[in-house]
Amino acid sequence: MTTKSIPMKPAIDGRMVRHSVRQVLVTVLLMSVTLLIIIPFLWMLAMSFRTTGEILTDPYGLPTRLNFDNYSKLFFDPEIGFYRYFGNSSIVTLGALMLTLALSTLGGYGFGRSRYDFRFRGWLFALLLFALMLPPQIMYIPQFQMMTKYGLLNTYWALILLYTASQLPVSTYLMATYFQSLPEELEEAARIDGASDLRVFRQVMLPLARPAVATVILINFLQFWNELLLAVTMVTKPDMRTLPAAMMLFVGENSADYAMAASSLVAAMLPILLLYIFLSDKFIEGLTAGALKG
Amino acid sequence: MTTKAHASPGTFTSAAVSSRNVARKKPWGPILLFLAPVMLFYAAFVLYPVGATMYNSFHTIEANLGQITTTFVGLDNYKALPDDKIFIQAVKNTFIWSTVGPTIELITAVGLALLVYFKVPFFRFYRVAWFTPMLVSGVIVGLVWRWIFNYDWGLLNVGLRAIGLDSLAVNWLGRRDTPLAVVIFVHFWATFGFSFVLVLAGLSTISNDLVEAARVDGASTRQIVWRVLIPLLRPVLITVTLLSFMGKMRAFNVVWVLTGGGPLHFSETVATYIQKRAFLWRSIDLGYPSAMAVAWFGIVLLGVGLLKLWLGRKETY
Repeated sequence: MTTKSIPMKPAIDGRMVRHSVRQVLVTVLLMSVTLLIIIPFLWMLAMSFRTTGEILTDPYGLPTRLNFDNYSKLFFDPEIGFYRYFGNSSIVTLGALMLTLALSTLGGYGFGRSRYDFRFRGWLFALLLFALMLPPQIMYIPQFQMMTKYGLLNTYWALILLYTASQLPVSTYLMATYFQSLPEELEEAARIDGASDLRVFRQVMLPLARPAVATVILINFLQFWNELLLAVTMVTKPDMRTLPAAMMLFVGENSADYAMAASSLVAAMLPILLLYIFLSDKFIEGLTAGALKG
Repeated sequence: MTTKAHASPGTFTSAAVSSRNVARKKPWGPILLFLAPVMLFYAAFVLYPVGATMYNSFHTIEANLGQITTTFVGLDNYKALPDDKIFIQAVKNTFIWSTVGPTIELITAVGLALLVYFKVPFFRFYRVAWFTPMLVSGVIVGLVWRWIFNYDWGLLNVGLRAIGLDSLAVNWLGRRDTPLAVVIFVHFWATFGFSFVLVLAGLSTISNDLVEAARVDGASTRQIVWRVLIPLLRPVLITVTLLSFMGKMRAFNVVWVLTGGGPLHFSETVATYIQKRAFLWRSIDLGYPSAMAVAWFGIVLLGVGLLKLWLGRKETY
């Protein structure tokens, strides 16, 4: 905005006033939206630091002091043993992550490099992506039957295998797209030096694909950690439940003990939220990359 | 496919020549090595189950004294669908959700993205903050909002009563007409951040020069928005709408925890109903819910196809 230096104009003209008024209004609006988005989290946080007695008398007061009792009971009380559910979720998530990475990097390489193209490769790729259209309901009844038949119900394997299957299309697609964009020279050079395809993959191309691998890890970590449908269907033994499934049980049983329930909710949210605070840009880009490229 | 027609110094050495000849033969070994694991795993855990569900849908599967008997019933399961009142209710609810939800989401996401786009202070903060609900497990979302909407002491009603709007403090989760609205709102709260970020990303790919040129030509902000930005955003908006629609047709987590499809099926969706039919109710017949799943898949495909047609047609001026 250029300022006019004609002395007879008033110092603040109408347009400038309207502009800053609009700025303020917009900021107020956006901050209120932010508040609306965040209020549930804040309320949970506040409740988790109080005792149930305090909550019952005054549901919306602020905690008088930071009371960590709920959390220590949550984690250290052997009867509740929240750590068990964290453990289950971690094992399942890590297992599925590793399996997904192994399959999708190999597959992405095979689908992405022109060297491995053949007549039906496009068809196979389309077949793989077809699963993106499928609602999970169409698969999980037979998946349940399969798990029962092979005695895998209530084991980690049930979830590890099925979680991997659910995320293979997206992960393979991301890896394939990335591998496709890598130049051929390094591959050629390594092969001229006598390296086998597998060695080329392992020692040359895969290290180059770090950004895509990071994205795949982030996306899948989120999906596996928060998954509910399969977790509830395939695992019914309380001890073996993952966090989301355990939360349903837990809050149901403790619905009168609001303080404990609140702290369990906060505790369950914590890993992802902490990760997010440090990696927010990567998260957002990774989760939207697939959508925009499609 | 790349053409290797460079005349670089190494092109005519024997090493280079023999490597080019080797490149002509398809490396089937490596191809198998790389593609087989993925495809086999996929076939076993995705393709086979889909096929099995379709197969199941033509049968009635019963467990009598530990023995599972599968009887072929042809299209009976499908024929029973239109008479199933709960199924019809669920379909209605899911459709209402899949049309109202994406509409609200699109308008809000675009509106806010535009506001933020015009270089409001803190815009990176908004992007990060508004995306947060997407990360929280559906269970937590459902549970927290169940408490907020609680009739007696939930945040919403307490707040309404505090400012004197007692008449609005209704039993949100217990009446006939409100649970579905609650589900739609809560799910919107959880997923709006995703659409917002997508639209924002789309906006940021629009070159500033275009906007500048329009301004120089004297266009008002409103004209810039409607004549320049929105048309350029069309692909992103279509993607957002499609994704949102598909997401709501299949959503499970939030509904299940928030209302469980209740009360009395007033907020039942197809996803929750299939879950109940297959795993919760005493009827061990897996054939019927399979038919439901297959039929629903067909309906989703149809919906997406129609939506694509409707949205795509406007593209040709």
